[in-house]
Amino acid sequence: MIYAEHLRKEFKKVIKEPGLKGSIKALFKPHKEIVVAAEDISFHVPKGEILGFIGPNGAGKSTVIKMLTGILTPTSGECRINGKIPQNDRKNYVKEIGVVFGQRTQLWWDLPLVETYSVLKEIYEVSDEKFKERMAFLNEVLELEPFIKSPVRTLSLGQRMRADIAASMLHSPKVLFLDEPTIGLDVVVKDNIRQAIMKINKEEQTTVILTTHDISDIELLCDRIVMIDKGKNVYDGSLRELKANYGQMRELNFEANPSSKLTPEKFKSKLKLTDDDLSVECDKNIYKVRFNSAVMPVGEMLSYTLSQANIKDISIKDADVEEIIRRLYKQGVNTGA
Amino acid sequence: MKRAWKIYKILTIQNLKRLMEYKIDFLTGAISFLIDQAVGIGFIFIIFSQIPNLAGFTFEQIVFIYGFSLIPKGIDHLLTDNLWSVGYFIVRKGDFDKYLTRPINPLFHVIAENFQLDAIGELLVGIVLVCSVAGTVGMVVTPLSILLFIIVIPFSSLIYTSIKMGTAAIAFWTKQSGQITQVFYMANEFAKYPTTIYNQFIRTIITYVVPFAFTGYYPAMYLLTGENPLFNIGGTVIISIILFIIAYTIWCKGLNAYESAGS
Amino acid sequence: MHKVKKLYFPFTRAGIQELLAYRMNFLCFFFGELFYCFVMYYVWKAVFESSGSGTFMDFSMNDMVVYLFISNVTGFITSSNVCEQVGDEIKDGSISMRLIKPVNCNLSYLFKELGQLVVLLTLIFVPMVLGVEIYRYCVNGFIMFNIVNFLLYLLSASFAYLISFYLNLCFGFMAFFVKNLWGFNILKKSLIKFLSGAVIPLAFMPNIIKQILELMPFASLSYTPVMIYMGKYDTQQIVFNILLQLFWLMFFYVLSKLIWKKAIKYLCVQGG
Repeated sequence: MIYAEHLRKEFKKVIKEPGLKGSIKALFKPHKEIVVAAEDISFHVPKGEILGFIGPNGAGKSTVIKMLTGILTPTSGECRINGKIPQNDRKNYVKEIGVVFGQRTQLWWDLPLVETYSVLKEIYEVSDEKFKERMAFLNEVLELEPFIKSPVRTLSLGQRMRADIAASMLHSPKVLFLDEPTIGLDVVVKDNIRQAIMKINKEEQTTVILTTHDISDIELLCDRIVMIDKGKNVYDGSLRELKANYGQMRELNFEANPSSKLTPEKFKSKLKLTDDDLSVECDKNIYKVRFNSAVMPVGEMLSYTLSQANIKDISIKDADVEEIIRRLYKQGVNTGA
Repeated sequence: MKRAWKIYKILTIQNLKRLMEYKIDFLTGAISFLIDQAVGIGFIFIIFSQIPNLAGFTFEQIVFIYGFSLIPKGIDHLLTDNLWSVGYFIVRKGDFDKYLTRPINPLFHVIAENFQLDAIGELLVGIVLVCSVAGTVGMVVTPLSILLFIIVIPFSSLIYTSIKMGTAAIAFWTKQSGQITQVFYMANEFAKYPTTIYNQFIRTIITYVVPFAFTGYYPAMYLLTGENPLFNIGGTVIISIILFIIAYTIWCKGLNAYESAGS
Repeated sequence: MHKVKKLYFPFTRAGIQELLAYRMNFLCFFFGELFYCFVMYYVWKAVFESSGSGTFMDFSMNDMVVYLFISNVTGFITSSNVCEQVGDEIKDGSISMRLIKPVNCNLSYLFKELGQLVVLLTLIFVPMVLGVEIYRYCVNGFIMFNIVNFLLYLLSASFAYLISFYLNLCFGFMAFFVKNLWGFNILKKSLIKFLSGAVIPLAFMPNIIKQILELMPFASLSYTPVMIYMGKYDTQQIVFNILLQLFWLMFFYVLSKLIWKKAIKYLCVQGG
């Protein structure tokens, strides 16, 4: 369905030195540098799969998505979706895909939502009959009814995201690209959006590629993940597998009462764990403990901590994507594609 | 084609509806374009209060040329104003992504999105001026000249559109090019007066390089004198088509070079 | 004074940097204006050739060239974009960032613009004046540059700039009360262009209109300094017009203060 082979994208960037001097220098002799946003990215996605495309900020996720959707032309490498190369026959290609960029809307700001859809209907050549059918389906999945008559600029972020997803699904695309579809939304709305994506994928066998920073998006939605960093593939496989290997890290934060005279060394010494499985940072009396829950279960760690000191405040966190990537590097393992 | 028209219609109707929301803005905009042009006419008035003719042209003839030049300018302003936004911010902010993920020509899409009714100010002044002196200026009125008049207007407008399009497309490489468009666009000032008042260098530039002379003086001269239709009208058609092809080529090359925004 | 320097020079520096960052922008904008001057130059040339006499309403061709280019460059350097800037900041709410800084809000705008003025003066004004004087020298065979007139011009132009700044500030503050300033801005620009004599020298207007326009604040923006530069005013006229400029400066200064006071209250009421 989707083949990306050795995608590479370079940008030219004007580098300005700081300060007044730099400004004057840039006026006469702008200094240009080549920035490699994507170095060598390859992956395949079969039909009907939901692929989580993840990586830290600046890893090149959006660049890859923009190449796959035909917005950017790769410097080298090739992508093929449904046998089509996006840049070669852009107009026909984009009829088969839907795109949502979480941080910007593709709806007409001043038009009532329903008018936006009627323009899109013409743009994508959807027949009247099909349009009715689609609107009914999308309405059911995304609950557009309450705000369909309002101008887009008056919608809340969550409503706008639903409206955007509906806009990208109007022409029944075979592939749906979602770039940060849950960014900035609260938990309930996030859940709403996830349900909708799942439903669309189930009922229409739409292949979905989504980028996100939210690990729960991936846990709930994705069959498989491709992780990239610094423009290169670093992992390709299931999330479960990844977590089993690198994702068991938890972060424990607590504040110890000064009277308990706890030190990081003291805390560490009684636990016979390797540095890979345990790290302790301490700022005044605030502790940040990273530990591998596969080696030391969360419950044990908690009761150990409580036994060590008089604790004022305590919390425990899942490892986030950044943390997993950090681990991945440390161990120098590459499961690769 | 039918689809394009339908899309255009929906967007334009919506644009007009929005205009009703910002009525005052629209009115002040239209009035200020009108004032700009009225001042230009006042200027011609004052000149002619002191001299009988300007480089051999009578007051009526100058007004005719001036008025004629406003018509293609107004039409282009009315229809393709969104090209300014491409050069000023659509590309820079990365908002051009949207147009590239739609199965219609991005150029058409951009243009269709805005219908700049402010242009009415210029367009009205132009039409009123041309009509008011048409009787006294000794215009050659034949079925052919009327036909050519109607034919030449869209081609003259195309010269404006092409210059805006070609320079706006530079933003695909440089992120922002609105000011470059501005420089070229300002050259249209030259079109309002007979090109014979300029020196040879400027005349060559505004005839063959930034051919604004074909949006005013040349076609207007044909209507005034009936002379040289091949150059005055034919030239306008050919030059505008060549310019459009060049501008569209730059535009298409720009689409491939488009770098979006952010990471 | 030292305190002012320390407090407000960062704004000046930021202004310079901003202008240089958009180097293409302002250069292009300037060339656009220059086109206009050249069109007018040729129109006037044709006028003088057609009229047969050496003067047009007391202006020689020489005067006309000086008027065209000097009034244009004066208009260019004394124009202030504080109106757009304040308007934008009010609309997106970032004006509150200025309010929480321990500086005078209006002065911070002024010092920022002064930074841009420095760039404009060196890159545009100086070459333009040199160009005009070289032209005059070539045509007449002797140097016509008059240092006293030039210094008086600089004084008058400085007043012109300050009037323009406070006038634009008043316009910008309207964004507190008016939803959308865009249309007003365009209207303001074309009105000023006409009323300040940028297109048609006020001297060419019918007498009554001329007298009225000369008293209005818009003439102070570029017409007055240019007439002084050209030596068209005698001492009495110079004194009168500079006093008039001072009057308008005070007027718009006080007006901007008043609007600002009202606006702050409005801002508090809105909670924005």
